[in-house]
Amino acid sequence: MSRLKAHPFLLAFVLLAAIQVLPHDARSQYQYQNSISLSAGVYAASGFGTNPYVAGRYSYFLPGRRWFVEASLGFSSLQSDVLETVSQAQVFETETLYTYEFVLAYDPNPLGLIPYITGGVAGLNQGGQNTFSAVLGLGKRIPLGNFLSSDQFSFRYDVRDQIFSQQINNAEPFVAHNIQFSLGLQYYF
Amino acid sequence: MEDSALTYRSRILVIALTLAIAPPLWAEQEKAAKEAEKPLVDLTKGVSFEISPHTGFMGGSGTFGIRLAMNYGTFTFELAGEQVIGKTADLYPLSVNAVLNLSTSGQLIPYGTVGAGLMLTVPSNTIGDETVSTLGLTFGGGARYYLTDVFGLRLEGKQYITSVKADQDQQDELLFFQEVSFGVTFLLQ
Repeated sequence: MSRLKAHPFLLAFVLLAAIQVLPHDARSQYQYQNSISLSAGVYAASGFGTNPYVAGRYSYFLPGRRWFVEASLGFSSLQSDVLETVSQAQVFETETLYTYEFVLAYDPNPLGLIPYITGGVAGLNQGGQNTFSAVLGLGKRIPLGNFLSSDQFSFRYDVRDQIFSQQINNAEPFVAHNIQFSLGLQYYF
Repeated sequence: MEDSALTYRSRILVIALTLAIAPPLWAEQEKAAKEAEKPLVDLTKGVSFEISPHTGFMGGSGTFGIRLAMNYGTFTFELAGEQVIGKTADLYPLSVNAVLNLSTSGQLIPYGTVGAGLMLTVPSNTIGDETVSTLGLTFGGGARYYLTDVFGLRLEGKQYITSVKADQDQQDELLFFQEVSFGVTFLLQ
C-alpha cells in the first residue's frame, strides 16, 4: 500500500485496468448530471517550489457525458526553502496561494483508457496579487462501482498547467507555468 | 355461404380492432407532436432563477464574474459581481441590472441590459493606496443559447461608464470601459 501511495500513476493505472476487467456496469453513472469532488495533491508554483494542494470542484455533465464544465477552488502555498534560507528574499506579502478555475472538458471515451482534456481560465492569487491565467490539462474519472456498493463515486486524477504572465520586482515579464497534480474522490448526484 | 359469412365476420373484427387501437395511437402521435413543439426553455411559465458564471476581457484585463437572475418572462432582474484583474489594481464592478429578453421561449434568447452599481478599484501591488469606489452605469446586450432545459451558453458585450475626479484639477472625468464576456448559465425552474 505504501508503494501505491508513492506511485499515484501506478494506482491510477490499476484502477483503469479494473474498469476493463471487472463486470460492473459503469454506465449507471450516466444518470447523474452533477458531481462534487475533493482533490489533494501537489502544486508547483513557478519559481517557488512545490507545496501541498487541496481543491474542491463542481462539475456539470452535458447529455452524452463527453462534455462537462467545472469550477474549482484550490489552496496551496508559496513557501520556498531556497528563497528563505539562501536568498532570504520575500517576493510577496504573504505565502498564501489560492486559485479559482473554470474549465470546459472533453472526454472522448468516458469508460476507456483515454484521459479527458481540459481548457479554461483561472484566477490566481499569489501572496495577495491577482493574476489571470489560461489553464490546460488532462485527467481521468475512474468509477468505483467495482469496489463500492454505490455507483455514485469515482476516483479521479488531474494534471493542470496554469499559464500566465509573471512580473516580479519590475523586472521584464515572463511566461510562467504553475503545474498542479491532484488525486480526488468524486461524488455524483 | 359459410365462407362468405366468415369473411364478413373477419372484416367486422378487423374494423373493430382498428377502431379500438387507432385512438390511443393517435393520442400517442399527438402527444409526441406536442412534445416536439414544446420549446426547450419557456420563460413565460412562472418565475425562474438563473446562475451565470462567466469570464472575459475588459480592455486588456481578464475578468471573472457571476450573475444571479430572476426571470419574469420578458423582464429579468439581475445582480452581477465581477473581478477585473489589472496590472496595478483590480476592479470589482457590482451592479443591479434590468434585462429585456427579446424572446421568451425557444433555444436562443437575445437580450438587452441596462444597470447601475458600484465600481470598486482595489490597488494590488502599491503600498499606501486605498480602495476607491465610484458609481457607474452599464448597458449592453447579449444572448443565451440553451443546450438543455437547464444548461446554456451566454455571450455578452457591455459598456461601463463611471466618473472619477482627476488628480490635478479635481474635475470630474468620465471613464468608459468595454467588456466582452462568455460563460455558462444554469436555469432553475
